Amino acid sequence: MTAAVSHPGRRPNQNPCRVTTTRVLRSEWHKLRSLRSSWITLISASVLVLAIGLVMGATYTSGGGDSDVDTVVLVLYGSVLGTLCTVVLGILVTAGEYSTGLIRASLTAVPRRLPVLWAKAAVFTVTVFVVMFTTALLTFVVAQLFLHDTDQAASLSDPGVFGAVVGNSVGITLLSLVALGLGALIRSVPGAIGAFVGGVMILPEVLSMLPYDVVKSTVKYFPTQAAGALGSATPLPGEAPVDGALLALCLWAGATLCAAALLLRRRDA
Amino acid sequence: MIRAYELTKRYGDTTVVQDLDFTVRPGTVTGFLGPNGAGKSTTMRMLLGLDSPTRGRSTIGGRAYAAHSAPLSEVGALLEARSVHPGRTAFNHLMALAHTHGIPRSRVEHALDLAGLTAVAHKRIKGFSLGMGQRLGIAAALLGDPATLILDEPVNGLDPEGVLWIRNLLRSLAQQGRTVFVSSHLMSEMALTADHLIIVGRGRLLADTTVADFVATAGGTSVKVVTPQAHALRELLTGPGIEITPGPATPPDRLEVRGTDAAHIGRTAAAHAIPLYELTPQTASLEQAFMDLTQESVEYRIATPEPTGALA
Repeated sequence: MTAAVSHPGRRPNQNPCRVTTTRVLRSEWHKLRSLRSSWITLISASVLVLAIGLVMGATYTSGGGDSDVDTVVLVLYGSVLGTLCTVVLGILVTAGEYSTGLIRASLTAVPRRLPVLWAKAAVFTVTVFVVMFTTALLTFVVAQLFLHDTDQAASLSDPGVFGAVVGNSVGITLLSLVALGLGALIRSVPGAIGAFVGGVMILPEVLSMLPYDVVKSTVKYFPTQAAGALGSATPLPGEAPVDGALLALCLWAGATLCAAALLLRRRDA
Repeated sequence: MIRAYELTKRYGDTTVVQDLDFTVRPGTVTGFLGPNGAGKSTTMRMLLGLDSPTRGRSTIGGRAYAAHSAPLSEVGALLEARSVHPGRTAFNHLMALAHTHGIPRSRVEHALDLAGLTAVAHKRIKGFSLGMGQRLGIAAALLGDPATLILDEPVNGLDPEGVLWIRNLLRSLAQQGRTVFVSSHLMSEMALTADHLIIVGRGRLLADTTVADFVATAGGTSVKVVTPQAHALRELLTGPGIEITPGPATPPDRLEVRGTDAAHIGRTAAAHAIPLYELTPQTASLEQAFMDLTQESVEYRIATPEPTGALA
């Protein structure tokens, strides 16, 4: 390791500038934080969850229609809208590179290709989890300021509560990771958003209306339903058990990413 | 050094590149020339591993592009289509690429400076003109101080000053011993910049030659003669190896003679007391020679209406 850069005609065996996993991660982190859309989607997700949580807390009255709702679910109602924001970010991270053409530059810099996808997924997962978990904790604590004298009063140390707050953020993160994988598969922002809304959000709702028990017991392991099961402090009837839901959601995200990885290796950029 | 071995790319029934074999040597600027749709961009994408060839292979610096541990330090590339996110600043775009190789911030600033973009480094690319976009692409190509440069239509969208800048930049990069491979559909531009030419049409190799040889052989020289006795002079000059063309559009008193020189034509005319109004040696236009060569392989031909009796 003598020179900082290679020189024409020299054939470096140990080039100090070689591509490493850490460097690809740094590059993807730099990409994520240098775009306004990342900040806008993440802040929107956070603000939506917090604002809706505050409204739920401030307007709650004991014995009203929501008494039977799980405390964590009630406080984090905004997660549905927050998820939409992080889902869009996930799609922008991958499909956005195709629509702008940046993917050609990315793959020229990292011609082995797969490290780009893994690094994107890793940076995105950590970022979304940190933001959404912080938001969920804050929302829960603030909403409880309003709820402490109602039948929805709860503390993070109550059984299942902290787990559900973590589960809520894990659910959002894994759902968004499915979206990131879909973006890499479909390579078009509108196409991937359509596929996510249609396939992940609406399709299970339609299927669960079918009068077959097999369908019902399968649908509860679909991504949106599994994410819902993770964010509840008390197991709800008709929902998957937490461990099963977590496994299912990990498999969904993993399968989408692996399909994206297979195609990334094979397709022309 | 870039080498292509029987590179072939098919999309369904369409063959975009067929059996391209060529070598691009270090220390020279090699022009990659062909009309639109000749397969230049596809070939360059295959060299960079972005498109996989249907058949054949290519190496840069002795191995496949993807096999390099530090590809940006080996090859700098400018692709024809913009490959940037318009929402990022020029600096952030380059820095994100630089991070993959651990290239320091100072080198990014140096590349921006080389491309004349320092003043707009922290502006979002969205607002860049076509020429600034090209400069950013060049800056990205120079980022890793690469031994090989592959540039697809680098002068596109540049103003005359930018064109001159590219021309000098390419020459100086070649003088430093780097391999410089530049595509263009403009013969005149390549004649000024390149030392060597690889000419393709419809995905096939048409010529692999030096600029000097191309000028000498493809066009040759002719002599333009204007005389009131064109017919008589024509008969006197006709002989083996001599080609005389009164073009269909040329006036009847004008001849274009190939295969002999002005001195011979002048002496012949004087010996037979034929007055000459004009006797001009002409060097074939490069553009014409290029068009002659690629005529058969132009993808989008402009229909030239045949002169018809009704119109004449």
